[in-house]
Amino acid sequence: VRCQQYPPLCALQASAALRAPSDEHKKEPWASSSQQHFDSPPAGHQPEQKPQGPHPSYTGQGGQESEDYESEEQLQHRILTAALEFVPEHGWTAEAIAEGAKTLGLSVAAAGLFHSDGSELILHFVSECNTKLSELLRNEQKLVQLGEAEKKPIDEFLRDAVEARLRMLIPYIEKWPQALSVLLLPRNIPSSLTLLTSMIDDIWHYAGDQSTDFNWYTRRAVLTAIYNTTELVMMQDSSPGFEDTWRFLENRVADAMTMSNTATQVQSTGEAVVQGLMGAAVTVSN
Amino acid sequence: PGAGAALRPCSSRVAQDGINKPVIDRIIRVDHAGEYGANRIYAGQMAVLGRSSVGPVIQQMWNQEKNHLKRFNELMVAYRVRPTVLLPFWNVAGFVLGAGSALLGKKGAMACTVAVEESISEHYNNQIRTLIEEDPEKYKELLQVIKQFRDEEQEHHDTGLEHDAEATPAYSVLKTAIQLGCKAAIFLSERI
Repeated sequence: VRCQQYPPLCALQASAALRAPSDEHKKEPWASSSQQHFDSPPAGHQPEQKPQGPHPSYTGQGGQESEDYESEEQLQHRILTAALEFVPEHGWTAEAIAEGAKTLGLSVAAAGLFHSDGSELILHFVSECNTKLSELLRNEQKLVQLGEAEKKPIDEFLRDAVEARLRMLIPYIEKWPQALSVLLLPRNIPSSLTLLTSMIDDIWHYAGDQSTDFNWYTRRAVLTAIYNTTELVMMQDSSPGFEDTWRFLENRVADAMTMSNTATQVQSTGEAVVQGLMGAAVTVSN
Repeated sequence: PGAGAALRPCSSRVAQDGINKPVIDRIIRVDHAGEYGANRIYAGQMAVLGRSSVGPVIQQMWNQEKNHLKRFNELMVAYRVRPTVLLPFWNVAGFVLGAGSALLGKKGAMACTVAVEESISEHYNNQIRTLIEEDPEKYKELLQVIKQFRDEEQEHHDTGLEHDAEATPAYSVLKTAIQLGCKAAIFLSERI
């Protein structure tokens, strides 16, 4: 409510949150305990102190007494989450972020915290989807452990996991090609690659993969290919309920299963052949 | 003392139960690679010297390495660590080193064992230091495993010395070369 009356203050508060991390480590006036200087976050430790009362305020008022102090990252997180609602209309742009900021009662200048190409918004969305997928898979696993659900065969599990993840794109499908191209910008590739690989690793983990040899890589490479190609097919799919996409997915997963069966067969055939040759060599030498 | 929970930046990766994931990742990956390589080395040695008088000695050491590998396989799955990409390479290189050193004779094989086990013991000691510096309580189980394995590798080293490893022709050259290779293997397996 205060923000509506004093719009400039909101921008200030947003930027105050921006500047706050350095203030975070100042001593509170009443705290006489030993100083804690964190030049850089010590590895493995979490900053423990939290200013309880008003932090050094640029507004000259009591500060945000009603709100808990939040870090810059949490604020960005909230803005981006709010902005997602406006993506179908505005695309992955600063406009969507500005609209999102407005719904939080912040000034549209908050969009200035982010890149104009919407990179952070897209990465945030992908990260949120991955988190949702992990939770879904974790809950599924709990049900199986409790005996309330059947353990799925691998191909069905992979298929369902990829489908669940791709379905999260449906509300944004119109603008997703734009997002994909932004994710491929050199600047974003490390982040988008990390998000992709950790998602694929998660799916395999919950599928029960326990490989500790080169299979670890083969499986993830295959699943990544399946995911990426299915995603591309989905972009161009106009069938009702994306049934063409799901059928494509089913076929690709089946192909992968066949390939792995063939590989196993080739290996055992190879081993048998080697054994035969060794036997022949021993016979001949005798 | 703040009543609020400690703030963690949203983007930080949530570690499994608050462990230092990058450090543990490296440790388990390189140890797994090491035990895998050691297995292959002994396999190579057995292929050449299996029927000789040192066969049983090598076989016994090999069996212990197999147990080590099994344990690290379990740890790898438990901590969700990625194995090193170079595993197929260590597969071949290890076997070639074992077989090659065995072709130099029983003493050659023992010299190889001494060199490798010395490298591994030193490497395990470094890891024990690292983990103790981090948090001995949190990593108690891992520390126990590594300490036990280090002791067993040290035994292998002593066994190798007992079997006249030092009498190998060009012993110090051989030993230095092998240890250099081990250092390179450790460096690479930690990272890729």
